Amino acid sequence: MALLEVRNLRTTFKTEDGTITAVNGLSFSLDAGQTLGIVGESGSGKSVTSLSIMRLIDRPGRIESGEIFFDGRDLLKLRDEEMRHVRGHRIAMIFQDPMTSLNPVLTIGEQIAEVVRLHLGRNHREARETAIEMLRKVRIPSPEKRVDDYPHQFSGGMRQRAMIAMALSCNPQLLIADEPTTALDVTIQAQVLELMNELQRETGAAIILITHDLGVVAETCKDVLVMYGGNMAEYGDAKQIFNEPRMPYTQGLLASLPRLDAPANARLKPIPGQPPNLHRMPPGCAFAPRCTYRLERCDTPVPVTDLGNGHLARCWRCTEALVPVGAAQ
Amino acid sequence: MTDEPLLEVADLKKYFPVNAGVFGRHVADVKAVDGVSFSVRKGETLGLVGESGSGKTTIGRMVLKLLPATSGTIRFEGRDISDISARQTRELRRRMQIIFQDPYGSLNPRMTIGEIVSEPLAIHGIARGKARMERTVELLRLVGLQSSHLNRYPNEFSGGQRQRVGIARALAVEPQFIVCDEPVSALDVSIQAQVLNLLEDLRERLGLTYLFISHDLSVVRHISTRVAVLYLGKIFEIAERSALYEHPLHPYTQALLAAIPVPDPALQGTQKRVLLSGDVPTAIAPPSGCRFHPRCPFAFDRCSVDEPAMREVAVGHSVACHAVENGTIR
Ligand SMILES: Nc1ncnc2c1ncn2[C@@H]1O[C@H](COP(=O)(O)OP(=O)(O)OP(=O)(O)O)[C@@H](O)[C@H]1O
Ligand SMILES: Nc1ncnc2c1ncn2[C@@H]1O[C@H](COP(=O)(O)OP(=O)(O)O)[C@@H](O)[C@H]1O
Ligand code: SF4
Ligand code: SF4
Ligand SMILES: [Mg+2]
Ligand SMILES: [Mg+2]
Repeated sequence: MALLEVRNLRTTFKTEDGTITAVNGLSFSLDAGQTLGIVGESGSGKSVTSLSIMRLIDRPGRIESGEIFFDGRDLLKLRDEEMRHVRGHRIAMIFQDPMTSLNPVLTIGEQIAEVVRLHLGRNHREARETAIEMLRKVRIPSPEKRVDDYPHQFSGGMRQRAMIAMALSCNPQLLIADEPTTALDVTIQAQVLELMNELQRETGAAIILITHDLGVVAETCKDVLVMYGGNMAEYGDAKQIFNEPRMPYTQGLLASLPRLDAPANARLKPIPGQPPNLHRMPPGCAFAPRCTYRLERCDTPVPVTDLGNGHLARCWRCTEALVPVGAAQ
Repeated sequence: MTDEPLLEVADLKKYFPVNAGVFGRHVADVKAVDGVSFSVRKGETLGLVGESGSGKTTIGRMVLKLLPATSGTIRFEGRDISDISARQTRELRRRMQIIFQDPYGSLNPRMTIGEIVSEPLAIHGIARGKARMERTVELLRLVGLQSSHLNRYPNEFSGGQRQRVGIARALAVEPQFIVCDEPVSALDVSIQAQVLNLLEDLRERLGLTYLFISHDLSVVRHISTRVAVLYLGKIFEIAERSALYEHPLHPYTQALLAAIPVPDPALQGTQKRVLLSGDVPTAIAPPSGCRFHPRCPFAFDRCSVDEPAMREVAVGHSVACHAVENGTIR
């Protein structure tokens, strides 16, 4: 059975210009111990999806409908105190900018120890020991000294590792990492990703890794969810998504990348047009205004097609060998 | 492209003072740029790569005289522009322009697109009245926007469109040289390619020369003719694009290239990954000798003592590394 199963999730936000649907009927699932990558443009609903799973959507936002089964229970039906227990204990989250989630006036050690005390009921001395142990695990040098440092005394990479230490200190079954390496340099990013992989092998936690970096996904994730305009565009294992994409947006995204293994002079092939505006969503396929394969029926709501072996695509034409329509540019 | 350098920078430095205590006593310096030399030939694109904080933006701003240098010389079209007057600096801005990273912060939200793009025309008294309007529309077309956008405000535009506005504004004065400071870093992947293609087309059509600053090695490889690699305020390696990417010599360049994740699961595990240990040190107290030595897998005793100088190891390929110099790395 899947560890996490999101069904028909719909999350909206009230804005000055009307209500927007940030996540619009999203369904996906994740098995225990697996890594799922979520990719998509800015505003496609990646963070809102993870905040919905954590039930951290506040006004003006609202989870309108859907079910989020975690370990057999619908999180959306839990009482607040039950959900508090799930958060941090069973599901942990790390954010893009560790400074926003670390408390600047508490030492790194105090913050990890607090999580451990709260969720694992350890006493002060034990909690501190656990904090040092966790910092050692994420390879902070001389952890018994650095445990008393404040966040600002850590570099960006160290802070992100401290966040990972904190998130993993309660042995969660699911770790949601929202752009955990975006603020980091590539050489440090490689260290952090390697560390996450290693800790996952050790603890068996499932991971949802949200990123805009397709390279990071290809290197770390077994499965990939591509989002567009608040919903799934395509879902599959890394090989299906990167080597046999069936949805024109995924295809366009991969084709537009400057790649180190492509001829250096090759002209890039951008996706034309602009990302969707959630205030003015097309009636059918969200990608239709930018799609070179658009037909009339694309302006009607698009069902998900099961392409077999777990490969899903939301596109009217995903089973065809596609040829651009007319003189679309 | 000619061999004539349009821009020549020699031993350029920028130290930012660090003050502390109630009296703001000067306690140290951030050595943001610590003796950098390079030249940009007419018609080429020199890519400047380096991780965050390595000094890329600071170099770009000094070249444009938006920030005074601590020392060093900058020559543009053969003329030393290190100590020119304010009036001459203004003249210079008609020749060199900048495109910023942040398409959100760099446009005044209270000005219309038309006002933003035509402002440099007004400042430099280039065109007025109807001619100015026509030129503005022409500039918008040049970057793929429409005249219907003239009276709209930046907040009505997406990131990619705003970056186009920034490009149109930079082009208004018909510059020869443009510093592009991370022009696509804030954009979605699907939009980055649009803007990169636009920059390439404009270079060809208008005969522009670029200093292209980025932390993204794939983007830099795509757009540059030559590439310089920066680390903590120092250039470690500079070479023609193909030499740098196919035959990198400096251990840091090699590590950087190996750290880039490849968007293809079929290629996973085929590349050898050199995982660098340690964090990037601060520019306040860079390590002694070679400032890369605490993280370098090739470091030997000399590296923590002597700072390696840039040495040309092949035509147009210069490296600052003792291990390259003594033949350990070749
Ligand atoms: N608190 C909020 N109030 C109003 N709108 C919101 C709020 N949070 C998110 N949204 C909107 O919901 C949509 C999806 O946002 P989300 O943060 O999930 O995007 P994302 O895919 O994570 O993008 P990014 O790559 O930029 O992080 C966006 O249009 C966003 O503006
Ligand atoms: N105005 C300033 N005052 C003090 N330090 C600065 C200032 N501007 C930049 N720095 C420092 O100079 C170094 C290089 O910065 P920058 O040129 O912006 O790097 P990059 O563009 O490569 O990310 C960094 O350590 C940065 O913190
Ligand atoms: S449904 Fe139609 S418009 Fe949408 S991606 Fe498929 S072909 Fe393109
Ligand atoms: S000089 Fe020494 S420490 Fe520096 S890069 Fe070369 S081998 Fe490494
Ligand atoms: Mg987000
Ligand atoms: Mg910068």
